[in-house]
Amino acid sequence: MLNYFIKRLLGLIPTLFIVMTVVFFFIHLLPGDPARLVAGPEADDTVVNMIRHELGLDKPLWQQFGQFFINIINGDFGISIRTKRPVIDEIAMRFMPTLLLTLTSMFWSVLVGMAIGMVSAVWRNKWQDRLGMAFAVTGISFPSFALGMMLIQIFSVKLGWLPTVGAASWQHYILPSLTLGASVAAVMARFTRSSFIDVLHEDYIRTARAKGLKESVVVIKHSLRNAMIPVITMMGLQFGFLLGGSIIVEKVFNWPGLGRLLIDSVEARDYPIIQIEVLLFSLEFILINLVVDFLYAAMNPTIRYQ
Amino acid sequence: MLKRYRYKSLLMTGLAVYMSLIAFPSYATKEVTIAVYSNFSSLDPYDTNDTLSQAMAKSFYQGLFGFDQDSKLVNVLADSYTVNEAGTEYTIFLRKGIKFHDETDFNADAVKATFDRVTNPDNHLKRYNLFSRIINTEVINSYTVKFTLNQPFSAFINTLAHPSAVIISPTALAKYGKDIAFHPVGTGPFVFTEWNATDYVKGKKFDQYWKKGLPKIDTIIWRPIIENNTRAAMIQTGEAQFAFSIPYEQAKLLEKNDKLVLVSTPSIIARYISLNVTKKPFDDVRVRQALNYAINKEALAKVAFAGYATPIRGVVPAGVDFAVDYGPWPYDPDKARELLAEAGYPTGFSTVLWSSYNHTTAQKVIQFIQQQLKQVGINVAIEAMEVGQRVARVESVPSVDDAEVKMYYTGWSSSTMESDWAITPLLATSSWPPKMYNTAYYSNPVVDEKLQQALLTNDRETKKILYKEIQDQIWADAPWIFLLGDKQLYVHSKNLTGMSVMIDGSFYFEDIDLH
Repeated sequence: MLNYFIKRLLGLIPTLFIVMTVVFFFIHLLPGDPARLVAGPEADDTVVNMIRHELGLDKPLWQQFGQFFINIINGDFGISIRTKRPVIDEIAMRFMPTLLLTLTSMFWSVLVGMAIGMVSAVWRNKWQDRLGMAFAVTGISFPSFALGMMLIQIFSVKLGWLPTVGAASWQHYILPSLTLGASVAAVMARFTRSSFIDVLHEDYIRTARAKGLKESVVVIKHSLRNAMIPVITMMGLQFGFLLGGSIIVEKVFNWPGLGRLLIDSVEARDYPIIQIEVLLFSLEFILINLVVDFLYAAMNPTIRYQ
Repeated sequence: MLKRYRYKSLLMTGLAVYMSLIAFPSYATKEVTIAVYSNFSSLDPYDTNDTLSQAMAKSFYQGLFGFDQDSKLVNVLADSYTVNEAGTEYTIFLRKGIKFHDETDFNADAVKATFDRVTNPDNHLKRYNLFSRIINTEVINSYTVKFTLNQPFSAFINTLAHPSAVIISPTALAKYGKDIAFHPVGTGPFVFTEWNATDYVKGKKFDQYWKKGLPKIDTIIWRPIIENNTRAAMIQTGEAQFAFSIPYEQAKLLEKNDKLVLVSTPSIIARYISLNVTKKPFDDVRVRQALNYAINKEALAKVAFAGYATPIRGVVPAGVDFAVDYGPWPYDPDKARELLAEAGYPTGFSTVLWSSYNHTTAQKVIQFIQQQLKQVGINVAIEAMEVGQRVARVESVPSVDDAEVKMYYTGWSSSTMESDWAITPLLATSSWPPKMYNTAYYSNPVVDEKLQQALLTNDRETKKILYKEIQDQIWADAPWIFLLGDKQLYVHSKNLTGMSVMIDGSFYFEDIDLH
């Protein structure tokens, strides 16, 4: 087991290297000259050339790549073209707000989503199911932009209970995490339901019932555990997506997170930030996948890793 | 027993002190939050190019000259100035008894340190080109400084009034070097306290501010809120006292709110479509005039700007020094068809219109233009470009032969408030991309020469005549479709006074107060 874990961690290195290379060449293919973008419309070409030279963008591409690679190995992530702050600072100050928002959103949406999914599966085709699935479909199809605006209008503007923007206190987390979690809860509900329905038809459930176990024990002990495998997969995926920072929710609530940083950086062709941020996202995804794999083993002892 | 009692009383005292600490300031302090539409790129006005960052930096910095509430040129840190006969030497007499936030005296050395920094290309400052005419800054005595220019430049005082031309504390410059952008130290009404890159810039009242009795508030907070509707929501919840800009769709709703004041003011932001005069059919002046006749600007203002725009009345927007008013170009589709027929296009032609912005308003504009031109037989394919694309396909194009731009919807705001900066970067031959922003590739020797002449003289009457002739020529040549001037919309709470948005999109907040 430990061997497997170490092997997987070592596998990270080539993956990250490939991601790094692809991202580097891909963003340099984007149209638009960062020097001219930061110089702005009122700058003449002397200034643009001056800035291009300062940023080292006048060097050949392979040389820039080599420099980038060497810097990363030395732990130097560079300076943002747009803000002139160190990339590591720019990302670090936004990482926690995004992580906390992701955790709060995941927490409520997984609980609510799974509860709805279970209820819908147990009372399949009854009104409970219809209600639960109506919620799920609404959650998936309601654009988070509109939901966020609506929540602000109701709870901040009309009722004055909650603040609109910022991330300073726990009250600030309520509206964004509701907005962000709504679609996750909906996805979780649908996944749990379908997975549960499959499990409820299994032989071992019939056996459990035949043994005369209470229905609640059958559902919670015998079915839930087995139904969890696909649900956990989905959870891991959603978690990874949310950690990337939801661009729309962060924009609506002016959240100081990574999604907004990425958008601003892409617009300004801020190469250093884009590169490191995408690298961070891939790292997060790989780690989450690893954790998901171990959760499989914890859920189902028949799964073993060599 | 006694011991316990003592502890308890100590605790109570501590609590009382704490309570008074948190209770008192909220009584005494006046704090204003200003929600603005975009992130700040830098707090160093010499190293940024966006109006907003520079407008915000005016909390901390001041220039030798500036613009008042009505955008009239006024002396700020300068007391007066003289120009030599040749127009190449400007001697500025400085105001005395002014201190920077770090207690350094404001004097001629400070002015020299500031301008020596920007005119040195090794510092790689983005505003280098605005000041590159200065070849020497000389200290005559403590309160007199002389600028020597490489050639006469009559708009120089306007350049010194530009929001980027502020005076930085020489002590701070020496201390922070390149990092001055993170530690602004000027003579302005507020002392910089914090720049939290994700959320806000904060300043507190400067007690030794040289204008007595100002500022009237204790704390100023600048908060970039990118999303339009969120900004509008913040002013309704009271989390902000001033919000700029406001989406047109929200204007009606906010107007009804009796706690808020909605203001719309004219601006010098001009929207136009440049026509690449080196490409057929735009090389024919009749075609260019026809395009101007073919568009109903009043209707465009209603459709795309919800009425918050007015047709432009000349080459240079009203409010900019030496602007000439010709009245809006009339809407006359019959005349347009006639001119097109004369030019040899009786059945029209097909062409491409690019937009330099891709936001909703711009999308509406180019769609409307497409429909209007269809009426006179011109088929237009439209494309709204993302900023990087725009730079690659328009601004960075190395030569006119490579230029694919035909019709190009864009805008300009002359931030020095005089005609040279409103015409030269956009229409002089020397400003063809990639040098500057002459996307029409317009070139007229008469215009070029008179633009030069106007810079050589300091006589207002001569300049007036020259700029009139230049504008007459351009208006007749019609290298652009002259469209609209934006109106700016902002909202402030009723208890806030003394703050407004100026016509160049920056803020006036000298007298800002909260009641």
